[in-house]
Parts: sequence; C-alpha cells; structure tokens
Amino acid sequence: MGTTMRKKTQVSFVIRDEEERRHKNGVSSLQLDPIQGRLYSAGRDGIIRVWNTATGVQDRYIQSMEHHTDWVNDIVLCCGGKNLISASSDTTVKVWNAPKGFCMSTLRTHKDYVRTLAYAKDKEQVASAGLDRAIFLWDVNTLTALTASNNTVTTSSLVGNKESIYSLAMNPPGTILVSGSTEKVLRVWDPRNCSRLMKLKGHADNVKALVVSQDGSQCVSGSSDGTIKLWSLSQQRCVSTIRVHSEAVWALLATENFTHIISGGRDRLVIITELRNPDNFMIVCEETAPILKLCFTADQQGVWVSTSESDIRCWKLPPRNSLSSDMYNQNNYNTNNVYQTQPLYHIPGGPAIKHYTVLNDKRHILTKDTANNVALYDVLKACKVEDLGEVDYDEEVKKRFKMVYVPNWFNVDLKTGMLTIHLGQDETDCLSAWVSAKEAGLTTENDQKVNFGALLLQALLEHWNHPNRVNESGMKVIGNNFFSVPLHTPLIFSEVGGRTLYRLQVGDAGGENEGNLLIETVPSWVVEVAIEMSAPNLNKLPFYLLPHSSCQSKQDRQKKDRLVANDFIQCRKVAEHVVEKIVGGGDASGASAGSGKGSANEDSGNDAPEERVELLCADQVLDPNMDLRTVRHFIWKSNVEFTLHYRVLKQ
Amino acid sequence: MSICQDLGLNFQQRMGANISQLERDIGSEQFPPNEHYFGLVNFGNTCYSNSVLQALYFCRPFREKVLEYKAKNKRTKETLLTCLADLFYSIATQKKKVGSIAPKKFIARLRKEKEEFDNYMQQDAHEFLNFLINHINEIILAERNQSTLKGQKTANSTTSNMSTSIGPGETVTCNGTLPQNTEPTWVHEIFQGTLTSETRCLNCETVSSKDEHFFDLQVDVGQNTSITHCLKCFSDTETLCNDNKFKCDHCSSYQEAQKRMRVKKLPLILALHLKRFKYMEQYNRHIKVSHRVVFPLELRLFNTAFPLQSDDAVNPDRLYDLVAVVVHCGSGPNRGHYISIVKSHGFWLLFDDDMVDKIDASAIEDFYGLTSDIQKSSETGYILFYQSRDASC
Repeated sequence: MGTTMRKKTQVSFVIRDEEERRHKNGVSSLQLDPIQGRLYSAGRDGIIRVWNTATGVQDRYIQSMEHHTDWVNDIVLCCGGKNLISASSDTTVKVWNAPKGFCMSTLRTHKDYVRTLAYAKDKEQVASAGLDRAIFLWDVNTLTALTASNNTVTTSSLVGNKESIYSLAMNPPGTILVSGSTEKVLRVWDPRNCSRLMKLKGHADNVKALVVSQDGSQCVSGSSDGTIKLWSLSQQRCVSTIRVHSEAVWALLATENFTHIISGGRDRLVIITELRNPDNFMIVCEETAPILKLCFTADQQGVWVSTSESDIRCWKLPPRNSLSSDMYNQNNYNTNNVYQTQPLYHIPGGPAIKHYTVLNDKRHILTKDTANNVALYDVLKACKVEDLGEVDYDEEVKKRFKMVYVPNWFNVDLKTGMLTIHLGQDETDCLSAWVSAKEAGLTTENDQKVNFGALLLQALLEHWNHPNRVNESGMKVIGNNFFSVPLHTPLIFSEVGGRTLYRLQVGDAGGENEGNLLIETVPSWVVEVAIEMSAPNLNKLPFYLLPHSSCQSKQDRQKKDRLVANDFIQCRKVAEHVVEKIVGGGDASGASAGSGKGSANEDSGNDAPEERVELLCADQVLDPNMDLRTVRHFIWKSNVEFTLHYRVLKQ
Repeated sequence: MSICQDLGLNFQQRMGANISQLERDIGSEQFPPNEHYFGLVNFGNTCYSNSVLQALYFCRPFREKVLEYKAKNKRTKETLLTCLADLFYSIATQKKKVGSIAPKKFIARLRKEKEEFDNYMQQDAHEFLNFLINHINEIILAERNQSTLKGQKTANSTTSNMSTSIGPGETVTCNGTLPQNTEPTWVHEIFQGTLTSETRCLNCETVSSKDEHFFDLQVDVGQNTSITHCLKCFSDTETLCNDNKFKCDHCSSYQEAQKRMRVKKLPLILALHLKRFKYMEQYNRHIKVSHRVVFPLELRLFNTAFPLQSDDAVNPDRLYDLVAVVVHCGSGPNRGHYISIVKSHGFWLLFDDDMVDKIDASAIEDFYGLTSDIQKSSETGYILFYQSRDASC
C-alpha cells in the first residue's frame, strides 16, 4: 500500500454554523421513506437532510447527515428505510444508519466523482457509477456489516464503459442494469453475471436519467438532447421518442405500472406523459430552476421536486385518466397553462454563497450569496463576523480597501455554497503570512509577529492528543494562546485537488480513533507547526538601498547596498538602519551597534529615525509604518530590483 | 559536406548555362509584365527565412501593402519592416525578369532583432513567420502611436506582444491575440481571423464562449488525410475531464466540460501551419511527422457542410486558392532545408534559395508527404497560404 507515491495532503476547513437546517445549494437527489414519512434530500452543500413530510408540520427539519466534503450527487434508501447509501463528488460512496443519521462506512473504490446510484430492492443490491467510467455492484447487507476491523468488501464491477457515466437504473429484482453516459448510448448489463447484454444507440447527447420497468423489459431514458426515449429491451430497439421538453431532460420518474412517465430538466417544467400515447401529456408545474430529481409522495398522488436551487417543493399530480380527457388535453396546455401553480408543500432552502473577495489583510473575506446578502468572514478564527444584509457588494469591498500587502496563504472554494478554505499546500504556501500580532488585534504588545497559517493550524488541531505535544520544560502546549476556532468546524484532509482522505470536526480530534487516524493523515510539516510549535521560516525580501538623487554626493553614486530583510519590516526600521549605519557613520556608537537588529530604541539621537531620514520608493515618500512587502507591491509594483532611496532631513 | 559541394557545383552549372532557362520555360510572350522571379541567396542556413519571404512576396495583398509602406515611408529609422520593404521593392524594380538577390540587410536586421535568429543554425520556418508577422504588426502599431502622440513621450506599453506561447500538449493552438481597442492594421486585415472557443459544462449544460484572434491556424496532421479533414479535427470536441476539469462559474465547482474551437471570422489570407514536428518523449527531441496530407488547390470553407464555423460566422462561405507553400525537406526540425512553391499568374514556381524553376501543378502532389513511415527524410508541405477569392488582386 505504501509503495504508491502519495500526493501532497491539503488541509481544509469549512466556515459554517453548527447546525445548518437549510440546504445551502442545489438538491441533487430525493428519497422518501413512506413508512416513517421521512424525506431524505442530498445536497450540493455536502449534507444529506431528513425532513418530516407529515401534513400540518411547521418545521419539517429532523436532522442532518454530515460526512461528505463535496456535492452529494445521489442517494438510495434501502433495507426498508434502515440504511441510506450516498454518492458524492468527493469520490466516495457512504453507508449510513438512516434513522440515527450517522455514517457507518466509507467506500473509496471510485477514482472520480460518483454521480449516480441504482438500487435493486429485491436483492438489496446497489450499483454506483460516475466520472471514472466504472460501475461497481455492492451487496448492501455486506456493506452494513462492515466494521473497523472487518473492512474489506468485495465488489463486482461492470467494465466496458468508454466515457463518464451520468445515469444508472436497475429493476427491483436486479436482472437488468442500464447505464447512460456522454457516449450517448445506453449500455445494458445483466448484473447477476456481470455480462454485457446490449448497447442502444439513438440519443444525440449525454444520457442523464434512466428508469427500468419491474420486469426489465422496458426502459425510459432522458437525455441532454431534450428527448425522452422509450426502449424495448427485449426487442433491443427504441419504441418511441417523446419530445415534450424544450431543453435537456435530467430527471425521470415512472408510475408503478409503467404507464406514465414524469420528467423534468433544464426547462424547469415537470411534465407527465402517457408512455403508450405520448400525445397525452400535461405540464404539472413550473419550477424556479432546472429540475434535478423527482420523487413520489407516499400515496403517489404528488411529486417531490428538487432543483439546482435549495428549495424542495411538493406538487399535486393530475389524475392519470385526465390526460386524455378534453379538459386537460395537451391542446389546452402550454407553459402559461400548467396544472398546478401553487405547491402542496414547500421546504425552503437557504442561499448559497456565490461571490467572494479576500480582503487585503488576507484574513477577512467578503461574500455575496444568491439572495444578494453580503457578509464578512474571519478566516483566521473560522467564523462569520457580520451579516451586512442586502447592501452594495462592490461598495463594501471598496470601503474595506487597505493599502497593506500580506502574502496569500489560503484559497477559497464555493462548491458547496458555504466557505471551504483550503490552506496552502505546503509550508512555504501556508506559512507565508507573517503579521504584527498587535495589528491583527490579537495582543496589545508591540513587536510580536505571528504567522496566520501557523496560528490557524494550532487552533484547528488544538484538541488532538498528540504524543509530541510537550515543550522543552515538559509543559503541554495547547492551541495558540490567542483564540480557538468553533468546535463544530469540519476539518478536511485531502489529496491536493482531489480525493478526501479524512474529515472530522475540530472538537472531535481528542478521541482515540480520531487521534490515530490523524497520525496517519496529517503531514509532518503541519505536526511541526501545530503540535511541536516550531516557528515557521521568515520570508526574506531583498532590496537595494541608495541615497536619493537630491542628496547624492559623488562617492555615494557608486554605492548600491543590497540588503535583505524580513518582508514585514516597517520602513521605520530601514530608516533606523540608515541613521545607524550610513548617515551616522561618523558617530562611533552608532557604527558599533553591529548586527543588533531590532534592538531597543537608540538613545544616541534625540529624534526618531523617521524624522531624521525619509525613505522613498519610485519617488514617493514612504509612510514609516508601511512594511516592505506593501511598498514593493503597491509602490514598486514589480518583483525584481526592488529599490529604496533615502533622503536625510536632519543631520 | 559532400552534398553541399555537389550543390555548389550544380549551382555553378546553372549559373553558367541556364540563367534564362526559367524565361525559356515560361516563354517570353507568356512572361507576366511587371513580375520578377528572383531567388534569394542563402547566408548560411537562412533558407527558413528565404522560403517564407518568397511565399509572402507572392501573397499579393501582403506584397502590395509592403510596397505601399515603402512608398509612404521614405525616411524612417531602420526596422525589420523597412528592410523587408526595401527587399520587396528591390525585387519589384529589377531590370531583369529573373535572377537572384541577396537579402543581406534583412538578415542582418533580423539577427539584431531576435537573439534566437542570431546564429547560423537552422530555424523553424513557422517560428520565423510568426515572429515576422507579429513584429511587423507591432512596428506599424508603434509608428501609428508615435504619430498620434507626436511630441509626447512615447510609452512602451503602446505595443503589445502578440504571440501566445504554445503548450506542448495542446492539439489546437492559435496565436495573435491582440488588444480589442486598437484599430486593425493592414497586417490584421490580411492575416487575422477569429476563433471562438465554446465550453459547455456537462453538469449545468451552460455554454460559455470566448473569442480569440489568430494570424495562423495550427493543425495536427494524421496519416493519409487531407487539409479538409485536419481542419475538421481542429473543431473536434474535446472533453475536459479527470485532472483537467473545467471550473464552471455557474456550478462554482470543477465539472466535466466539452470544448470546441470554431472559426468565427476567416482571414483574407489563411495561413495553415501543419504541426509536423512532434516532441517525442522517448527520444527527448522533436521528430518529423511525414504523414501524407493532401492540400487542395481550392479550399471551400462552408458554414453547414463544414462544422468549422460557428453559427454567427461573419463570412460563412469562402473559397480559397492555394497561393504559396513553404516546404520542409529532410528528417527533422534542426536538419534539412526549406523551399517554397508559389503560384503566380496561373503557373507554379519553385524557389530554392537563389534558384527558381517553373514546375507543373501536378508536381505539387510530391509535397503531400509519405504514406509509409519507413523513410525518414521527406519533402512535405509545412506552411500553406490560402488566399480568399474575394481578395482583390
């Protein structure tokens, strides 16, 4: 196992509330437990939520199932509602205890986003597939019996797919499995012996939705080409093409006896069509966003609809026999004439963060969400600072502009609709931001410098019982002495730009299991900084120091001092250097001060150094409080030949 | 070395006996008035330049603009463009109909302008063409800016570097991105076309498109294919997947996407660069791909039958005539020889440095390439110049 070269490990975390009761992003999949009356919804915010569907309930939220770190693309409820299987863009498939809502095990067999699942109820078999082109078959009873020690699982795989798979379907007895992909064909398999049965051509684009009839003799497919096709699998041909949508078809739901198909997609319409007579169709409702998933209510008289927005709505379906009646004839129907204009139920979702700006202090982030709410976040403390409401985003960004330059040390990711912060990939990336602790508002002491990346790593791993967490005097050093981050903060270790290795909440790191997994996962440079408290390297910035042309003497002209200083050094310090080493050259005490950089205030001169010497860059007089990297970034505006000039004001 | 001596001998024989063989081949009555066929002397591996200069000279709209520039700019400081204009002027005003001329000043200037060309090594003709076109364009832009900012301090930023770097793994590349706000120069008017790249996210299926300008199209070559086919492949759909997913703004995440390049605006002169030098990792160098690629004398670019153009194409249907071909002879990019064949007044001529011969149109087939991979050395079309029939000349 250890022989394969391991990719770099990235440390990430999510800034969010402890309880997120609303979906923050689109909802990819829905499953109903008709007995318990619970609706499961798979969110692109990485969270599966459970809702109470009973009539008359005010707050439908029951609980969240959290463990995925990226979009949950599909879910199936199995074992009569005891277990839930989920597929995610974090490349994993997870097995859940559905009533209690905890993750029982994680399957890491897929190598790319897992897009779709299929379920054979009679056999308790689940198939998963996705962008790695592989289809795996899982025996649910085996999956639910997995434990930490007995964690090997054998799986069958169906091979031969040439392109990314976006849809799967099985019939309940598990005799037929159909896959849809960007190959534009349907591939049909017999999952009992993993043999390929046929390939059905006809669609002109990706196949994104599939259903198979109970006996496995028929199949309906929905495609990005805008059509729905009914296939006879026994005859291996397309029986009819249904053109009721004006755009891509992304979701299909067949009635129990396979007489009607309910479809939805990019055109936001839910349409019910009689399969044997496609002229009989009716627009059930118009949603506010492209439709991702359809799911029957317990009595099959209504349909739950999820979209690429976070709301979930339930719509009443027309009586099946009404489709051919005069009153609901398709001639009466167009997009302005839909069966239902008000949903039966509405589970409101929350807004997703859509825009962000990292402020110049490289600590605060301003965001704007889909409801145009602007908010301010503090990355260092992993929390929201302020809700600004519906204000002018650009104006707020402008208002917070500060002429200060701090190196980048993290990246922002909005894939889940919440803020995911990826720390820099290695010590040079993550530990580049040194700032004054006083200016960061962490202390009132002067002259203390802190490293943002190191402080945050220390806070994120504060609860980890690591054996090396002892300093020279034998004292346990915990955290960073300034602040802690919220205990619920999800902490994620993943391969750079790829698969998730481990996710836990900051407050859970103290557990024995968690500790052991962390030892396996956390990169050594993080341990050094966060546990062993070793100080990160300082960033050195080279620059040239020359007398300004206005006060140049002849001999000065040849002099071009190349100096190196820490990048956060203020201009005041450089002025001090000029006073001590260059201007005050005749002053013996100044010259002998030697390399005591940052030494206590000089008492040789009565005036502060910045009053004796002024510094210039690109002919602009510099504020003594400005640091060197800010001067280079905003005034010199180049990374090469950074040059400062000095001008003596008082001898 | 023996080959060079042989060539030298051959050259002398020709000089002595066949100086007017070309005139005889053409026939004095047929010889077009006001046309001159002059070879260019080789200054030590400068055939990459000679072949391209001859091809450009016989791209009539380009020649006319260069001569016009010469007429308008009597006293300017020496640039690569003034050197080119002097060279073209000198060819166009020769007393004799045929002969050879030494592009000494041009080569000297070229070596000053660009370090890479300042030696006696073989160079890539396409790199030279790319440099020359971009550089001429920059000179024109700079001069235009200078005249508008007369008396003012001229800023460096008024010119822009137009060549875009070409990644080794890319199948489709183009160069010649230019600032949108500037008025087109005559170089733009002649060579510049527009490509649209369309990317469709496979999750939300939103299509985003971006326009890019080009001075030449670079096409991958396949065995036993045609330019028409290569151009079709140029607009083939590419799927962005695995580690190369597309960051979709709509989805705020990395998703699979389909990307295709389409020509939105065709140029007056369509320069096609056949990517015959492929980097082979196992050899750690570029290997010549001698595949046979048929290039027709007439090339029609349709809107419907030909999926190369986008729906909002400006000039959806254009007929192009082949006017010049830069041919690479030999086995690799750093060895071998460049010659050019050009069409002038209805007949074809072969320029091999200082030698000029009339050839039969049927002989062009010889430069399509090889059907077998056994032979290493080949004489193959490398840069094709197609001129739109709408062009006035």
